[in-house]
Amino acid sequence: MIFVAVGTQFSFNRLIEYMDDWAAEHDESVIAQISDGSYTPKNMEWERFLNGEQYNKNIKEASVFVSHAGMGNIISAREQQTPIIVMNRQFKLGEHRNDHQADGLKWMGKLDGVYTASTQEELNQHLSHIEKLQLKNTISTVGNQNLTDYIADFINDDLTK
Amino acid sequence: MSKNKKPKVLAIASPGGHWIQLNKICNPLEDRFDLTYVTPGSEYASAVKNSRKVLNVTDASADSKIKLIPLAFQLLWIFIKERPTAIISTGAAPGAIAFLLAKFLPIKTIWVDSIANVSQISRSGRMVMKHADKVITQWEPLSDGEKVVYKGSIL
Repeated sequence: MIFVAVGTQFSFNRLIEYMDDWAAEHDESVIAQISDGSYTPKNMEWERFLNGEQYNKNIKEASVFVSHAGMGNIISAREQQTPIIVMNRQFKLGEHRNDHQADGLKWMGKLDGVYTASTQEELNQHLSHIEKLQLKNTISTVGNQNLTDYIADFINDDLTK
Repeated sequence: MSKNKKPKVLAIASPGGHWIQLNKICNPLEDRFDLTYVTPGSEYASAVKNSRKVLNVTDASADSKIKLIPLAFQLLWIFIKERPTAIISTGAAPGAIAFLLAKFLPIKTIWVDSIANVSQISRSGRMVMKHADKVITQWEPLSDGEKVVYKGSIL
C-alpha cells in the first residue's frame, strides 16, 4: 500500500492528481489524505482528514509514504521506519505562503530514507522502483538531549527573569 | 512557589510539523517541569489527554489576522490561570502572539525555530526576535552565537 498525505493546513491538488494518475496505471493500493482539495481522486481511496491514530497506522503499513515537503510527515515517517517521498509546494502556484518547501528539498534529500521530487517525472521515477526505497538505519525516536538540557537549564537559571 | 513544586511551563505550537517538533523537544522535559501544551489543533487534545494536559485555542495564522484577537485573549486567560514560569514555542502565529503578550509579564520565553526554516529564521521567528528571551535555531549557519543559538536539531 502507498499512503499519500498533504497535511491539514492547505490543499495540494497537484500532488493528489499526480498520484491519482499513477494509481490509474498501476496495480497497487493507494490511500490518500487530501485535506480540503478541490480535486477528488478517481483511482485511489481517499479521505479529507484522518485522526492521528489512523494516520500513523497508514504510515506504518505503507511500503512508501508520499507527502508534501513538510517536516511533520518526515518525522512521522522516520518514527514508523517508512521511506518517504516528498514534493514541495510552490509559492508561484499558490500552494503555500512562501517557497520554504523548495529550500527544504535540498537538505531533506540528504536524510536517510527521504526522497525528493519537484516534478511529476521525478515522482514517477521514484515510484518506478519502490522496492529500492528504504531507510538504511534504525532511527532513534528520542529527541536531542543536548537541546533539551540547554532549554531546561535556561528555564531554571535565575527563575526571576 | 513551594520548593518541591516543579516550575510550570507552557508549550505552544500550531498543528502539523510545528506540533510534532514541539513534542520532540518538550516531552523529554516533562520529568523536570510541569508541562501544559497549548495548540489550535483540536485533534491533538483527545489523542493525548490521558497522558498530557493539552489546552485548545482559536486557530489563527498570518492568513487570518482577525482571529488573532480572540487568540490573544485566550492566551492571556491561560497565563492568568496557569501562571507559567516559561513558554516554549516552535511557531507559528499562536506562539508569536504568546511571546508578544509574555513580554509584559514575568515569563521567560524560548523560541525554537522550526527545522523547516533552513535559509533564514521563520517569519514568526523574526517577529519575536526582539522580544524572546532566547531564540534557538536548528541550523548552525543561522545562529549568530549570541541572540540566536544553535544546540543541535531534533533530527
